[in-house]
Amino acid sequence: MIDNLFIDDGYVKRINILEASDEQLMEISRKLSLGFNLQEMQKIKNYFKNRGRMPSDLELEALAQSWSEHCCYKSSKPYLREYVYNIALDRIVAREDAGVLEFDDEHYYVVALESHNHPSAIEPYGGAATGIGGIIRDVLCMGAQPVALIDPLFFGRPDTKYEDLPKGVKHPRYLFKRVVEGIRDYGNRVGIPTVAGQVYFHDSYTGNCLVNVGCVGVVRKEKMIHSRVSEPGLIYVYAGGKTGRDGIHGVTFASEELHEESEEKSITAVQLGDPITKEPLIHACLECNELGLVEGMKDMGGGGLSCVCSEIAHAGGYGAEVYLDRVPLREEDMRPWEIWVSESQERMLLAVKEENLEKVLEVFDRWDVEAVPIGRVIKERIIRVYYKDQIVGEMELDFQVKGIEYRREWKKPEIREGGDPTFEMPDMEEALLGVLSSYNVSSRDWVITQYDHEVRGATAIKPLHGRMDMKGPSDAAVIKPLENSFRGLAITSDINPHYTSLHPYWGTASAIDEACRNLAAVGARVDSFVDCLNYGNPEKPERMGEFVEGAKALRDMASVLNVPFVSGNVSFYNESMAGSIAPTPTIMAVGIIRDVRRAATIDFKEEENPIYVIGKTAREMGGSEYYQYLGLKGGRVPRSDAEMLKKSIDKVVEAIEHGHIAACHDISNGGLAAALAEMVIAGRGAEVCLYSMGDMRTDVKLFSESNTRWVAEVKGEREEDFRRIMKDVPLYKIGEVKGDGLVIYDGDEMKKYVDMDRETLYRAWHDVLWKEMG
Amino acid sequence: MEGTNCEYETYLAFKELGTKPEYVHLKEIERGAKKVDDYQCIFLPGGFSAGDYVRAGAIFAARLKADVFNDLKRFVEDGGVMVGVCNGFQVLIELGFLPALNGISDEPEACLATNDSNRFECRQTLVRHEGRGCKLTSNISEGKIGLIPSAHMEGKLVFKNDEYAQEVNEKQVVFRYVDRDGNLAGYPWNPNGSYANIAGICNNEGNVMGMMPHPERAFHKWQNPGWEGNDGRDVFEGIVGYIERKW
Repeated sequence: MIDNLFIDDGYVKRINILEASDEQLMEISRKLSLGFNLQEMQKIKNYFKNRGRMPSDLELEALAQSWSEHCCYKSSKPYLREYVYNIALDRIVAREDAGVLEFDDEHYYVVALESHNHPSAIEPYGGAATGIGGIIRDVLCMGAQPVALIDPLFFGRPDTKYEDLPKGVKHPRYLFKRVVEGIRDYGNRVGIPTVAGQVYFHDSYTGNCLVNVGCVGVVRKEKMIHSRVSEPGLIYVYAGGKTGRDGIHGVTFASEELHEESEEKSITAVQLGDPITKEPLIHACLECNELGLVEGMKDMGGGGLSCVCSEIAHAGGYGAEVYLDRVPLREEDMRPWEIWVSESQERMLLAVKEENLEKVLEVFDRWDVEAVPIGRVIKERIIRVYYKDQIVGEMELDFQVKGIEYRREWKKPEIREGGDPTFEMPDMEEALLGVLSSYNVSSRDWVITQYDHEVRGATAIKPLHGRMDMKGPSDAAVIKPLENSFRGLAITSDINPHYTSLHPYWGTASAIDEACRNLAAVGARVDSFVDCLNYGNPEKPERMGEFVEGAKALRDMASVLNVPFVSGNVSFYNESMAGSIAPTPTIMAVGIIRDVRRAATIDFKEEENPIYVIGKTAREMGGSEYYQYLGLKGGRVPRSDAEMLKKSIDKVVEAIEHGHIAACHDISNGGLAAALAEMVIAGRGAEVCLYSMGDMRTDVKLFSESNTRWVAEVKGEREEDFRRIMKDVPLYKIGEVKGDGLVIYDGDEMKKYVDMDRETLYRAWHDVLWKEMG
Repeated sequence: MEGTNCEYETYLAFKELGTKPEYVHLKEIERGAKKVDDYQCIFLPGGFSAGDYVRAGAIFAARLKADVFNDLKRFVEDGGVMVGVCNGFQVLIELGFLPALNGISDEPEACLATNDSNRFECRQTLVRHEGRGCKLTSNISEGKIGLIPSAHMEGKLVFKNDEYAQEVNEKQVVFRYVDRDGNLAGYPWNPNGSYANIAGICNNEGNVMGMMPHPERAFHKWQNPGWEGNDGRDVFEGIVGYIERKW
């Protein structure tokens, strides 16, 4: 009943929405998979009514891209603006596709983090690979050399039974394996080290895994470029891979829930990655920039040419004309709208001065990368699209790009904390082994050794650290990005969905806390945050409430720390038949370390050095690994005192900078016990007594996951200096580096609770994923 | 060429030792814009040239063979230094420049096959210097153990037959994977299952060397904090030292 509304007109179809009823409007939106609601369709109808003409398919498709949740953040923006955009603004140099901050007097560093969840749930290998590709381009388009990749990943539990899987959902083990392979094959080939990330298993991700990808780059200050054009007359140069039919409707697909038929219906929304086109594309773009030939640059990501050609012009206050028949195609018979919105990978758009065009094309030719001029910047703030001699699209950029915003209804999410259960304390050795071998504490080396984390030769602290044959987990990776400076970037990413599912606010605050203390543990001061906010369907008030609570926690923590959110991404609709994911505001934090040679590592190093716990332990066991191991519910999620956090990280970093600390490790999931075990695995043994930590049951001291805590090995001769620096921070001396194993006493009578050798600890911690994944 | 990585850190290593390295794109050689003879050392860095979607290094080698094989052959036969690390090693094998037991061969006589683990392995490895006849590592004492990290999917060296393997093993091995005590040991010390734990070999004349581990990743102490050192620097010093003596 709407077929008669589609009218052939040269290379496009016109859609007669001018006369369409509300029902017909919605049917058009559904038929073309545009993802508009009625209000949005009406707005489009009015726009074209005022112009007295029917929109083309290309125009509707372009609007569908620009107005998708994924592109315009219509549900999240009002809250982000209110809560997180305004912190420490003076430190932010630019906030575009990536965030830019100062690294040293002559350089900026550039950070970006985004989600690639939906594609990865459907086609994990390609989805993850192109996620990496996209985030590299986000950094590249600021003119920066990418120096590190970060991959926080979230899956259902590997031991999920097949019969428990909802229909149409792939097994977590398969998703995990293929995602890692996708990152490996893309990241390794493209020659950027994958240095940090996390792998988290939680039931709520069974139906909707999360693949977040981050990238950090470095650029000389005068070489930074913007994703905006600077003047009319500039030529748009298309560079990189050809355009095909892959990735059509990627962003609209990412802006709805996953369902049983997602795979069948949306497989074309997944792009195909090609790192071997990307690798020279990076070189060629950076070379053009180095030669001063680029006025603006933007990567073709979500929404394809349509979003890029429009946004880069709009950001500069101009418009553009684009000639679609000049775009290099993989498939010759593509229709104009398909070319316009395809999200084929490995493509960049450069805005260059006409007199530099030849030189630019020459550089790309030398790198064997295809590059062609496809359009130009014009003065009117209009995007005008030609195919051969026909105008196939023409809209005002303010209308297309500014999009829409909603202040969605939300309600305070349920707090699922409870009182602590009463139970008899189990055997501590067994509990420690149980916690070490849990899915979320155990070693990630099955993953890490598949990623090249050392290419570029600049990785000072690697994700695994310690002895050759037994390494422990580093708190943060440290990169030394410049040839002639020892200044380093420390990178970590954190979120514990076991906390956020119990308490969205404190779970989010804990992620900030953990990110900061991971950086401090290597000796870096936190300098910026990037957030990738993964939530369920924002049209459901409770999901929206989880998002708002999370945003408030980010504000409350970051404004005390005075650390800005420089870039980020919101991913809604992470829901499937199996329900919504746990709120997952992934926090990536970047810190600056003055001299990488001073960075602290986790391995216990020298016999008889004293061991301290920094920070206060409380009974905060909600969502803890210990309770999970015991199958217990209830308990309080760890709280965080931002003032105390700020003070503590300053002091820890100061002590590391002065060289007082020989080894340092943050205390997070698995508590003090897991932290000590990991330090022993990577280095020498330890003998500790928990008596000084106060009057709590031994299992609380060992397994509570209270925030703002570290274990530090202090150099014997520096103990007094260390204590002087730490005087305003809770400090507990618990023992010394000794022997080859871990021995733990507690109580007045020095009862021995744990006495285990390194090998036993290592096997329990190390073997889990190897057994699971082979 | 596209997919070649590691050129940046390799460049820095040579630069640090006071030489004047240059990046040369395969295309520049093919087009004749740069000439092999203008250099004293050709270093093929690691990576995934052309994606390594067929046998690792095969396409890179095929392109070199098609255009400049004779130039390269003459360069090597005249005593020019050629070194390949990781993917570069794979290229040298594919070119027939290594092992080259009986001179440069038209067909590859060995192969860097997929690791026994069937995985990409990025891990630190210890190598013992054997130095049999390699002119480029004469600065490193025999039996010295060094930490040089590995990162590859295809690093298991195998030869066309046993006899050939034994002969190379006796005459041309430069580095072997060992454990902390210097013994030949299995996985993970030997990350790929390579024949006789071979990590690197040279040609008969000792002026062409290939190795899987990455010396440019162990050039500075800060690249390997804590327990171990910067043994990759020795490899570069050896190469540069030889060139200085020769010219």
